[in-house]
Amino acid sequence: MTTTILIFTLVLLVGAYLAGLLGSLTGLGGGVVVIPLLTLGFNVDFHYAIGAALVASIATSSGAASAYVREGITNVRLGMFLEIATTVGAVGGALIALWMPINAIAIIYGLVLILTAAMQYRRKVDHSGVVGSVAAQRLGLFGTYPVKGVGLVAYQLTNVVWGFLIMIVAGVLSGLLGIGSGVLKVLAMDCTMKVPFKVSTTTSNFMIGVTAAASAVVYIQRGYIDPGIACPVMIGVLFGALTGARLLKRMKVTLLRQIFAIAILLVAANMIYNGFTGKF
Amino acid sequence: MHPDIPKHDMRTAIGRALRIGVTVACVIAFIGGAYYLWRHGGEPMPDYTQFIPVDQRSEQTDYTSLSGIIHGVLNLQATEWIQMGVVVLILTPIIRVLLSLVEFSLNRDWIYVGITAIVFLVILMNSLEGAA
Repeated sequence: MTTTILIFTLVLLVGAYLAGLLGSLTGLGGGVVVIPLLTLGFNVDFHYAIGAALVASIATSSGAASAYVREGITNVRLGMFLEIATTVGAVGGALIALWMPINAIAIIYGLVLILTAAMQYRRKVDHSGVVGSVAAQRLGLFGTYPVKGVGLVAYQLTNVVWGFLIMIVAGVLSGLLGIGSGVLKVLAMDCTMKVPFKVSTTTSNFMIGVTAAASAVVYIQRGYIDPGIACPVMIGVLFGALTGARLLKRMKVTLLRQIFAIAILLVAANMIYNGFTGKF
Repeated sequence: MHPDIPKHDMRTAIGRALRIGVTVACVIAFIGGAYYLWRHGGEPMPDYTQFIPVDQRSEQTDYTSLSGIIHGVLNLQATEWIQMGVVVLILTPIIRVLLSLVEFSLNRDWIYVGITAIVFLVILMNSLEGAA
């Protein structure tokens, strides 16, 4: 029996909804989950999957950012400064994607997933009493964020140069894979620059849309973004992310994240194996 | 000295712009998608297992260039309507960058006016270079 466009669209819509939900609950973002959904679940070519991931990344980022910016958690200055690194990186990544064999891209994606899974098990230390560096101060990167019951808490940050360099890599991966590379963004801000966890996750999310937009036009022109896939993915992921954001306020997700980390490792192994055997 | 707290209404404007952009993008894509399904829903699904580069496609597709997308939208082509939704979605964070530029200018935060302008130029140049 051949699958009709109607059935494909509806099934993909449900799949994208779940991808957006999981991406939001685990903090991975919608883009990362969409790639295996399409390539492993629907046997779609990797190029189309990357295009769909880009659409999903922008949708979830902009959707969630609209709420965070209002709450005043996002460090807009820090985000904007680091966006120089991510957008330049993204332009480079989109160029690399032109000549890099798709199987190599799949392997890189698998490696990003492994890093993602590892980060899910990391203990979250909320940095306090960080002494900021001179560079960070000159750039006006220190900020405040609201903490329930305490009010505004001031924070400083450090290691601007290293953070910036990691962000270039994050940008390259975004341009190459269409994903938000939230893992690397958090790695740069949380682990390296010692930004408070809540600030680094929301600022990372805030940056994803802009980073993805930097390579989006190129993606459209190369035909990576196919309307038949983009439409259900965009709508499904967005509604999934909205549901996830609502659920996040009410449930503990630590266990879910750790279970999901195992699933990510399985997908990563699959991607890397298929990449090396040239299946894509 | 940098003013620490950005103007509150600017923040609200940015939040609102993001929400409006995503909503409009979704509505356009939904209209295009519904129309696409109405016209082609019963047909067998296209072969997505193999990516075909744009210049090797047998059928001419309008949805890979901005002029083609606009042309298709005016001619009520379902696929181009969906792609127009994607374009609006892409424009959303870019508009946010422009709003931040306004915000930093209002605060006379000139370093950040410069930084934001660089980000905007990188995106713009990449998009225009791609378009050429």
